Amino acid sequence: MTAESAIAEPPAVMTAVAPRRRRAKLPLLNLVGAAIVSAAVLYVSFFPVAGLPALGAAFNPTTGAWTMAADAQVTDRMLHLSGLQQPVRVVLEKDGTAHVTARTDHDLFVATGYVHAKFRLFQMDLLRRQGAGRLSEIVGKVALDTDRFELQLGLLRTAELEWAQLPASDPLRDALLAYAQGVNDRITEAESTHQLDAMFTLLGYHPQPWTPVDSLLVKGDMTQTLNFTDTPLVMALLNKSLGTDLASEWFPILPPNQQAPYDPGPYGKVEPPQGIATMTAMTDAQSASAQAVYERLAALPAGLVSKGGASNNWAVAGAKSASGGALLAGDPHLHLTLPAIWFQLTQESPGFHTSGVSIPGTPGVLIGHNQHIAWSLTDAQNQQTFFYMEKEDSKTHPGMYFWNGAWRKYITVSYQIPVLGGATEHLTVKWSVHGPVISERGQTTSVWWSGNLPSQDLGVLMNAGRASNWQEFREALRGWYSPTHNFVYADDKGNIGLISAGYYPQVAKGQPWMPMPGTGEYDVTGTIPYDDIPQAYNPPDGIIWSANQRQVTSSYPYYIGTASNFFDPGYRANEIHRVLSQPGKLSASDMQALQTDTHDFLASEIVPVLLQSLSKEQLTPQESTIVQLLRNWDFRMEINSSAATIWSYFYGWYVYEVFNPWWKSRAVPVEMQEISDTLDQDLEAWTLHDPSNRAFSAPGVGSRSAADAQRAAFHKMIPQIAKDLGKDPNSWTWGRVHLRVLENLAEVKGLNYGPRPDRGDGRTPLAAGDYPSTHGPSWRMVVDWGSGTFQGIYPGGQSENPASDWYMDRVDTWFAGRLNPMLTAEQAVAAGGIRTWDMRP
Amino acid sequence: MGHAAVRRYVAIFLAALLALAGVLLGLWWAPFVIGVALGALDRRARIVVPPGAAIGLIAWAIPLAAVHIQYGLGPTTRSLAAIMGFDHQGVLPVVLTLLVGTLLGATGAWLASAGRSALTSARTGT
Repeated sequence: MTAESAIAEPPAVMTAVAPRRRRAKLPLLNLVGAAIVSAAVLYVSFFPVAGLPALGAAFNPTTGAWTMAADAQVTDRMLHLSGLQQPVRVVLEKDGTAHVTARTDHDLFVATGYVHAKFRLFQMDLLRRQGAGRLSEIVGKVALDTDRFELQLGLLRTAELEWAQLPASDPLRDALLAYAQGVNDRITEAESTHQLDAMFTLLGYHPQPWTPVDSLLVKGDMTQTLNFTDTPLVMALLNKSLGTDLASEWFPILPPNQQAPYDPGPYGKVEPPQGIATMTAMTDAQSASAQAVYERLAALPAGLVSKGGASNNWAVAGAKSASGGALLAGDPHLHLTLPAIWFQLTQESPGFHTSGVSIPGTPGVLIGHNQHIAWSLTDAQNQQTFFYMEKEDSKTHPGMYFWNGAWRKYITVSYQIPVLGGATEHLTVKWSVHGPVISERGQTTSVWWSGNLPSQDLGVLMNAGRASNWQEFREALRGWYSPTHNFVYADDKGNIGLISAGYYPQVAKGQPWMPMPGTGEYDVTGTIPYDDIPQAYNPPDGIIWSANQRQVTSSYPYYIGTASNFFDPGYRANEIHRVLSQPGKLSASDMQALQTDTHDFLASEIVPVLLQSLSKEQLTPQESTIVQLLRNWDFRMEINSSAATIWSYFYGWYVYEVFNPWWKSRAVPVEMQEISDTLDQDLEAWTLHDPSNRAFSAPGVGSRSAADAQRAAFHKMIPQIAKDLGKDPNSWTWGRVHLRVLENLAEVKGLNYGPRPDRGDGRTPLAAGDYPSTHGPSWRMVVDWGSGTFQGIYPGGQSENPASDWYMDRVDTWFAGRLNPMLTAEQAVAAGGIRTWDMRP
Repeated sequence: MGHAAVRRYVAIFLAALLALAGVLLGLWWAPFVIGVALGALDRRARIVVPPGAAIGLIAWAIPLAAVHIQYGLGPTTRSLAAIMGFDHQGVLPVVLTLLVGTLLGATGAWLASAGRSALTSARTGT
C-alpha cells in the first residue's frame, strides 16, 4: 500500500441525496477557508498591521531585520566609493573611533559621509526628517503636530536659503556636496547588500538620497534645541497673573544672586540702552494670546523648545598648569540618547588635522583639537527668540498686517506633509517681516528667531577647526550666528581664551522679554558689534570658565536677556570658579575630577542657614538624626549620601512653601517647575540677604521670615520622605531616588540604558537634573598641551545598531568618570585591535 | 517505499531547494509560491499542507541558522525583541520568524489544493 492509497478517496456514488449536497459544498468551503487564511497571512507579510511591521519583509532572514547581525560585524575591507578622487584610509579603533586619512579635503568629506552613514544612517534620517517636517511620513499621525510646527518655524526654508546663498567658491559647498556623496555611496551599498539599519526595515521605508540641505537641517535642529525658547510667553503669563510689581521683582533682567561672570569688563563706552522699558502690565488680549501660543508649544515633544542649557567648559593657562601647558576641559550637556548625538573621529587631509566629536549628518568636527589649538563650547543663553503681536484689521485689510506705517501682505508658503496611513496634510505658513506666524488664536503672533537668519555656521566651524592661534580662531568665529556659544580655547603656546560668539539681537525699545507689538518700533535692529560681545583672552588669574551663566556683570551696556530662564542660575559656574581659583597648580586629573564634581554650591550656602534656623527647635529623634546628617554633610550629591536626599527634598519643599501660596492666590498658569531656575535664585538671594522679603508672607500664611518658611518646609518634608523611602533617615540614600537613563533615540524602551543610580544633580558640575535624569554630560574632553595628552568620552557607542558591540560600550567608562585617550591614527594602529577600510575611487 | 513515494519525497526536496534559493535571493515569499505549486499537484490538503509547511520552515530556518553560525544571533534576537516590545525575550523573534516562513509554505499549499479540490468537485459534480 502506498502513502496515497492509504488515504481513502471519497466514494464516487452517494446513496443519499442530503449527504451528497453537503459533500458537494465542502470543497468550496475549504477553498474559502484557504483563501481567507492565505490572504491574512499574505497581508500581514506584506503590510504593517496593528503596530507590527510587514512580517515577511521585516523578518525574513536574508533581507529583513536579521541583517543587523551581519551589520554589527566590522571587518577589514577594501571598497570603492564613486565620489573619491584618491585612495582614502579609514582606521577603526577597538571602540569604533574612526580615523579618516585622505589626500584631498574633498575625499576627507566623502569618506566622513560614508563612515557616518555606515554607523548612524537611521539617526541622520530622523534628524533631517525632524527638521524638514517629514516624521509623519514614517510614523503616522502621531508626529503631525511636530511636523506642522517645524515647517511653520521654518527650518527647511532657512536651510534651503542657506544652501542657495552659499557661493560656488565657498569650500563649505564642496564639503557638503562631498559629504552627501559619501552618505549616498553608503546608502547605495547598504541597499544592494540588504544591510540598511534594521529600523528602516521595521518601519518599512527606504532612505532618500542625502543632500547638502539635509546637513543644514541637522544643524538647524541643534540650533532649535538650544535656543528656540518660549520664555517671553512665560513672562507674559507671569506678568498678567502675579502682577507687574511682583513679576518685575521676582523675574529681573539681572540675576538676583551672586554669580561668577567670566568677562568682568571693562566693556567700552557704549551708553546703556535707553529704549528698554521696565516691565509694564499686559492687556487681557495680549495675555490670552500668549497663553494660546504657550499651550501650543508646551504640547510639543521635548527637545523642540529649549528649556535652558547646561554645559561646562573652562581653560587654565600654562602659567597655572602643573604641566606648564594650557589645560582645557569641556562637557556639553544634552539629551543623552542611544545612539549618542556625537560620533568620534579624526580627520586628516591637506587642510584639516582635527580630532574630536562630530554630529552625524554634518561634515566636520564640532568639539576637539587640531595640532595647535583645542576648543569646546557651551550654550551662551542670550535671548534669541522674540515674539511679535501683529496688528491686523480683518474688515478693512484682510490677510494683511500693519508695519512701519503701512499695511502689508503676509508671505505664504505651502507644504505637503505625507502621513503614513492617512491623507497628505496641506499646510500653509504665513510670514510677516518678523518671521513665521505661529498662532492665530485671538491675536496673530509671529516669532523672530535667530535660527531663521541664513548663516554659514558649518563653514565657520570648519574654519575654526583650522585655526592655529587665538587671532585666527576668534576671526573665524566672527561669522557664527546661532546658537550663540561660549567657545573656550587653549593652545600649545599656553594661551587661553573664551568668546561668546553669535548673534545678539538688539531692539530699539520695548520689553523684549515679553511679546511685543509688531508695528515696527520694537523690531530687532541688529546685533552687538563683534568686539563688544563677551570675551576674554589670557586673563590675569590664568583661568576662564563658562557654565551657561551670564557672562558679564551688571555694567555691561547691552541687553542680552533676563535672568529668567535665558541664563543658568550660576551654581555650576560658581563651583567651577571656586575650584579653579584655589591656590596651586592644576593638572589634567584635576580637570577630570572637576567634570565629575558633585559639590552642590547652593546647598553649601543654604544648609548652614537651615541648621541655624533649626537650632532652637524641639526636634524628634528622627528630626535630630536628619539634622545630624546635614551637619556632617560635605554638600556632595553622592549615591550613598542620605543628606543629599534630605537636601534635595528640603529645597523643593522650601520653594513650594514660599511660592505655592502665591501661585494659588494669583492663579498663576505656569508650572513652578517651568521657572524653577529663577525661583531658586530668588529664594537663595532672599535667604542669604533679605530674610524678611515680602515673598515669605504670602496671602493666607501671615507675616513670617525666611527662617519660619525653612522650619515649615523642614517639618513638612519629613513625612513625604518617610513615605517614599521608609522611616530610617540613614537609609535615604541619593541613589534610591536619583537615577540616570540613556534613552533610545527611536524611543524603544527596551534599548535604553538604565535606569541606574547616579550622583550629581541639576546644580552640580556633574549635571544630572530631573528624576530620572535624561540630560547631562554628552561628551567630556580634557586636553593638556603640556603633556600632549588628549582624552574624551561620551555615553554610548559609535554604532546605532543595538546588536553591535559598539552600541553602548562606552557607557560604563563614562559612568565611572573615566576618559579614553584620543589617539591619532598612528597611535591607534600601534595600539592594535584595529579594522582598516581601504577606500578606492 | 514505493516509486511513487520516492518521487513524492524527491519532489518535496526539490521544492524545498527552490524555496530556499528564492529566499536566499531576497524573494522571501518564495515558500508561498512553491507551496502553491505543490498544492496544485494534489487536492487533498492533508497530503500537501504538511510538506508545504516544512518547505516554508526549511526555506526560512536555514538562512537564519547560517546567520547564527556566521555572526551569532544573540544580541540581534534580544534587540529585535526589545524593539517589538517583548523586553529581551530573544526567542520570540526567532519563533515569529519561523512561524511566518512556515505559514507562507503551508497556506500556499492549502490554497492551491483547495482550489484543485473545488475544481474537481465542480467538474464531477461531487
